Amino acid sequence: MPGIDESLLEAMRLPGARGASLVDWISGLALGAVGEAPGGDWEATAAETAELARHVAESGSLAAGATAGAAAEAGKEPPVEDLIATTADAYHLLRFVSTPFDSTVFLHLWLGRDDGNLALARIRLAEMADRLVLG
Amino acid sequence: MTRVTTTWATQETTSAALGALAAEGATGALSGERGIVYLSAGRVVHAESAFTPDLGALLTRSGAVPSDGWWDAVDRGGAQHRVGHRLVDSGRLAAGALEVCHLGALFDAAYFVLAHDTRAHRFRPGAVHWLGAVRSVPVDAVVRESDRRRALLDRIHPDPAIDTVPLTRVPGAGRPGLPARRGRTLTQVDGVRTAAQIASSLACRTYHILVDLRRLAADGLVAAAPPTAPQTAPVPAPGPDPAGTGWDDPDTALLRRLRDALEAL
Repeated sequence: MPGIDESLLEAMRLPGARGASLVDWISGLALGAVGEAPGGDWEATAAETAELARHVAESGSLAAGATAGAAAEAGKEPPVEDLIATTADAYHLLRFVSTPFDSTVFLHLWLGRDDGNLALARIRLAEMADRLVLG
Repeated sequence: MTRVTTTWATQETTSAALGALAAEGATGALSGERGIVYLSAGRVVHAESAFTPDLGALLTRSGAVPSDGWWDAVDRGGAQHRVGHRLVDSGRLAAGALEVCHLGALFDAAYFVLAHDTRAHRFRPGAVHWLGAVRSVPVDAVVRESDRRRALLDRIHPDPAIDTVPLTRVPGAGRPGLPARRGRTLTQVDGVRTAAQIASSLACRTYHILVDLRRLAADGLVAAAPPTAPQTAPVPAPGPDPAGTGWDDPDTALLRRLRDALEAL
């Protein structure tokens, strides 16, 4: 059963992976990180991406269609599953992790565009997020 | 066996005392004004505060672990300081879930211990928490994170009173479409309860409730409750009572007593 470090190391085995972290999107804390930090500093990266993730997690517009109430009852909070940012040479994939207790965390995977496969990474990261919490 | 000097006692603040103990690679429990930080070989392994729900409250009140499953783990693992391992080994909780919840509780409690960074009260060398080893964090990372958390709250709404006093909803203030979490927090604001009491009833980390409440205060939806009239019942305490049991449900109160008994072994 994987812990935080094992999950992040598993994410780092994906083709093109440069760095991976687990971040609290309300406090901006990095609970764990492996590999290279985008920008060189995991704490700064975590605080910055958390602010981005919070806006997405709390967005009423993005959650439209699946009302916040229905999502909460289904135990899926926030209603958004993941968010993707692309740059000229990299992908950033943020996957919200749903837990049965109060946690507010997401996995952040930084992928090089030359070797990275975004579609594969998205599926794998979702599986890793589930295994991290459910075993 | 690490020799622990009394350097920590000469420090003016709890964070400086933690730094001194970390430099010595100390193991034990440091008590501050608002809680206790546990060290193992100079790293933080656990923290607890009467202002924040502990791991058991976070797990059982959310329904993540049934109450009897938690108690079974405490019964079987408590004396060996292996309650966390016991939860995972018995299949009640995934290893990752334990780590995430534990770190959440650790940084939450540490924030309150370090938010009022007065002189540390005492250090018990060799004291080990009954939960047992889950993950450890460097002292400087915990101190830095607590500073950052305080700055984040002040950026949202610079009114620290919101964190400790009974809160009330502002009459006549509209309720725009709030995010689910913040809406839930707002429903708990009743003119009597404090942030710590709201966090306890929602089984949420208290710092995360503070973030919600400061945002609600910034939006003009929540304010400090006016003091109760003198002829009525005594004014509710601004925080948990010193014994830390006044607002706990019986399960947590019992758990705290059990913890104290285990620590006395």
